[in-house]
Amino acid sequence: MDRVKILRATVVAVTIVIVLRLFYIQVIDERYKAHADNNVLRYMVQYPPRGEVYDRNGAFLVQSKEAYDLMAVPREIKPFDTVAMSRILGIPVERIRKELLKANLFSRRRPSAIAKLLPKEVKLRFEEHGFPGFYTVYRTVRSYPTKMAGNLLGYVGEVNEKIVERNPYYRSGDYIGMSGIEQAYEEVLRGVKGVKIDMVDVHGIPKGSYMGGIYDTMPSPGVAITCTIDGRLQALAEELMQNKVGSVVAIEPATGEILVMVSSPGYDPDELVGRERGNNYMKLLGDPRRPLFNRAVMSSYPPGSTFKVLQGLIGMQEGTLVPSQTHPCYGGPKAYPFGRGMACHSHSSPRDLYGAIATSCNPYFCYEFRNILENKKYEDIGEAFDVWADYVRSFGYGRKLGSDFTGELNGNVPSAEFYDKRYKGRWNGLTVLSLAIGQGELGCTPLQMANMVATIANRGYYYIPHVVKRIHDRDSIDSRFYERHYPKVDARYFDPIVEGMYQAVNGGGTGWVAAVPGLEICGKTGTAQNPHGSDHSTFFCFAPRNNPRIAVSVYVENGRFGATIAAPIASLVTEYYLTDTITRPEMVERVKNMQIAYPYYDRQRKDR
Amino acid sequence: MTDSERTDNLAPGRVDWVAIAVFVALVMMGWLNLYAAVYDDEHASIFDIGQRYGMQMIWMGVSAFVAVSILLIDAKYYHVLAYPLYWIAVLVLVGVLFLGKEVHGARSWIVMGPVAIQPTEFVKFTTALALARYMSSYTFDIRRMHDLLRIGLLLGIPVLIVMLQNDTGSALVYGSFLFMLYREGFNGWVYIALLMIVSLFVFSFLLDPTMLLIVLIAVCVAGEGIVNGDWRAKIVYLAGLALGSILLYAAFNLSGVELSWHSAILIATVLSVGAVVLYAYRRKIRNIAIFILLFFGSLGFTYTIDYAFEHLLQTHQQKRILDLLGIESDLKGWGYNVNQSKIAIGSGGFSGKGFLEGTQTKFNFVPEQSTDFIFCTVGEEWGFLGSALVVVLFAVLILRLVRMGERQREPFGRIYCYCVASIFLFHVAVNIGMTIGIMPVIGIPLPFFSYGGSSMIAFTVLLFVAIRLDAAKREFSSL
Repeated sequence: MDRVKILRATVVAVTIVIVLRLFYIQVIDERYKAHADNNVLRYMVQYPPRGEVYDRNGAFLVQSKEAYDLMAVPREIKPFDTVAMSRILGIPVERIRKELLKANLFSRRRPSAIAKLLPKEVKLRFEEHGFPGFYTVYRTVRSYPTKMAGNLLGYVGEVNEKIVERNPYYRSGDYIGMSGIEQAYEEVLRGVKGVKIDMVDVHGIPKGSYMGGIYDTMPSPGVAITCTIDGRLQALAEELMQNKVGSVVAIEPATGEILVMVSSPGYDPDELVGRERGNNYMKLLGDPRRPLFNRAVMSSYPPGSTFKVLQGLIGMQEGTLVPSQTHPCYGGPKAYPFGRGMACHSHSSPRDLYGAIATSCNPYFCYEFRNILENKKYEDIGEAFDVWADYVRSFGYGRKLGSDFTGELNGNVPSAEFYDKRYKGRWNGLTVLSLAIGQGELGCTPLQMANMVATIANRGYYYIPHVVKRIHDRDSIDSRFYERHYPKVDARYFDPIVEGMYQAVNGGGTGWVAAVPGLEICGKTGTAQNPHGSDHSTFFCFAPRNNPRIAVSVYVENGRFGATIAAPIASLVTEYYLTDTITRPEMVERVKNMQIAYPYYDRQRKDR
Repeated sequence: MTDSERTDNLAPGRVDWVAIAVFVALVMMGWLNLYAAVYDDEHASIFDIGQRYGMQMIWMGVSAFVAVSILLIDAKYYHVLAYPLYWIAVLVLVGVLFLGKEVHGARSWIVMGPVAIQPTEFVKFTTALALARYMSSYTFDIRRMHDLLRIGLLLGIPVLIVMLQNDTGSALVYGSFLFMLYREGFNGWVYIALLMIVSLFVFSFLLDPTMLLIVLIAVCVAGEGIVNGDWRAKIVYLAGLALGSILLYAAFNLSGVELSWHSAILIATVLSVGAVVLYAYRRKIRNIAIFILLFFGSLGFTYTIDYAFEHLLQTHQQKRILDLLGIESDLKGWGYNVNQSKIAIGSGGFSGKGFLEGTQTKFNFVPEQSTDFIFCTVGEEWGFLGSALVVVLFAVLILRLVRMGERQREPFGRIYCYCVASIFLFHVAVNIGMTIGIMPVIGIPLPFFSYGGSSMIAFTVLLFVAIRLDAAKREFSSL
């Protein structure tokens, strides 16, 4: 009968419709699987402890303390006593309400942080009380027991959206090294986050681990770092630099290890940890002397007379100078080249190279520079100039050295093209003569200057300066730090320069104040004119003369003569490093108490 | 004839063992599935009668006893007892209305000590018997209005009482007898009309009025074309209608009177009726009148649907329908059940997460998961393979019932078997359909899977009486 067929067909049709629909939602449409996971799985991030940082002698520079973030899952929260919670956490009631509101808007199902970095005692008290829907997660918080070297060590902060976009490892709420070593060695120090996948029921109550935990990963703890910094030396240098703006960088010439890196004024990195972080950060940011600005690698200073040693090296390599060559200097405003504002202080005349370095004779190096630029070997001054600039760059000036420290600045070494443009092709040796004595368009970072003096100490090569000595789970640091870099000047031309620097300190030269009997300090003073006020005081040196163990560069803004302040600081740092003693406490006191006015910075404060 | 044949005793060879095997398979799967749905580690024993699966095991025992008893009892009694059982059941239903316990808003339970019985489940059986008895009488003619009214009365009494108990789902089950009635020769136009009403209802929600109007015109014209042929005239007519609508629209709007496309098409269509009548008169095609009436009837119906929807349905019913049609949804509110149910089933994938491994059901994301939404657990833990198997097993059972009905010599047995097939089809299609979002949410159990003694025993009785009647038939035919 026809009707029976229709009825049978109806049954079959209904079955087919249901089976097709089942096939669609179970096999084709993937959406439901994701929904199911969202329903049931809760991903709990397991934060690893952050690696610690030691100085070269094994003393703590950075420690990790345990801390806890308070998380809340809004839909699991039962009504609770906000006042009691406020008391336990020490956070105002309104703030808790505001955070909960924010969490609610973010997601009812996913956890949000309500309070961050609570001390362990607070966490224990909180858990005793038991608020449903809240839980704590382990984090580490940094502490800086030496309370110094803020710019060197850097600080750790919460990631922002840009970082999250750029690097998928980070999720909102994660911490990341924001500057200094914390930033440079972020990937070593941070470790790797783990995840624990829990199943929860419809009420958000944990029901055990997903698939018996086979998809869980353990966090792998951050690796500790021993850095090249000498903590005690750093502390002394910071002390000496107090109330001054500038930088001290010390390098072990034989390895390129940075022993000291001071940027002054600095800050106590502990201030950028914990609840007051935001306020303190704003305060530091508002300070007109810019304590957050790492002058050691980011400030581009005129090198002043310390540059003369390089001038001498280039002259000898180019053959335009032999050390015994003398140039006259009449001192005072009559000094060569006349009428160009190039003065010199009084010293005996004429001088050879040794004497010129020791007494920092300006005219001597002006002659020298002109000889280099007017060398008949070259077609025109442009070509000669670019040859000269290449020499300068080969010493690490005008480019990043490639240290492991982030935020290095290039500095500036001008090119012939630059002057062609500026003077429309009409310029000569006299036009750029101020470069001869480290003025003009030259800009160098304190790190570059320290590298320069380390190169001299090594008689012709340097290792890229770096701050990390050992990463605790590795046998070696990056291979580039084991490589010698040779500037374009032959080793044999360094001895006359070393002799000059030795005489500058120990032979009655401009750096006599730095002399320490028996240490054979070789140094060079610098007094750099600048548009911001008094001359900058700078000095670099190394010691001892043979097999030097330390090379120091000091730069004090507006500190006047190199010998006034930079030289004593360098001398004290060198002495302390080499002998572990301070034989001139009165000099320490004098330097510490030296008052320098910084109208350029402090005027801005009043303008605000 | 031997004694045994006259007293209609059972012999194993006459029983539909396929149906029984499917029944046993479904019951066992149902039990394991219920265990998985309610499972928690603390009560891991499937025999723990403190848990639903333990209780279900007891109901299975009772059902087995009932099933065996039915197979052993003489089949003649069902014919004799059909009316008395029907009236007893009606009396009990009325009693429940006054004395019963209310669960989930429906007053449909009798509580006797530790046991709660839902008489509604058994009324399906007695109603099926009464219908079979009445429709198998020699004087019955399904084309007679008087007899149809009697059928309506037999169905209407329990439906009315169940509606009064506020158990709309169970009341709707009686609509499933349309399946049986079709077999018995009920007018086919009723089904066509019903289909049209349902599709008009759905389309009136899914399409905007103008689109609906165009579809209606197209359907009526195409229908007439299928009946009478002459497709060229249809195309000319539709083209003229389109041209007329455009002219009307342009004329009105250019002269500054705003006229929507909907009105323009409607006016053009109404005006065209004159031409259609003239055409029909000349060609002497009378049945065009049917299509004209159909068109205007449908049009009128769509305009009244909104009213009916707003005023005849309760809010939760309106929302379930809107949700099903994908018009509105509120996944946290009234759409939650169906959404979570789809998630659970969908997450099962092709081969399922494995027995007791279903996270959605185990952690109670699906409400009512041991009763109305039990199929979620099947879908999640046994995947497409398992759930399709269950659906196919039910289809086999229903087709088997149709087959049993068809080989009956007596109309009584045939009608009864079809009644049972109707009830099973409705329960399976609606229950599973709702868990996968192709049927509105109607709270009725899935046979042998949903937790509950009443439904378990009632479905067993329904099925085994059909098997017993079938076995009796074959005894005579074997002579």
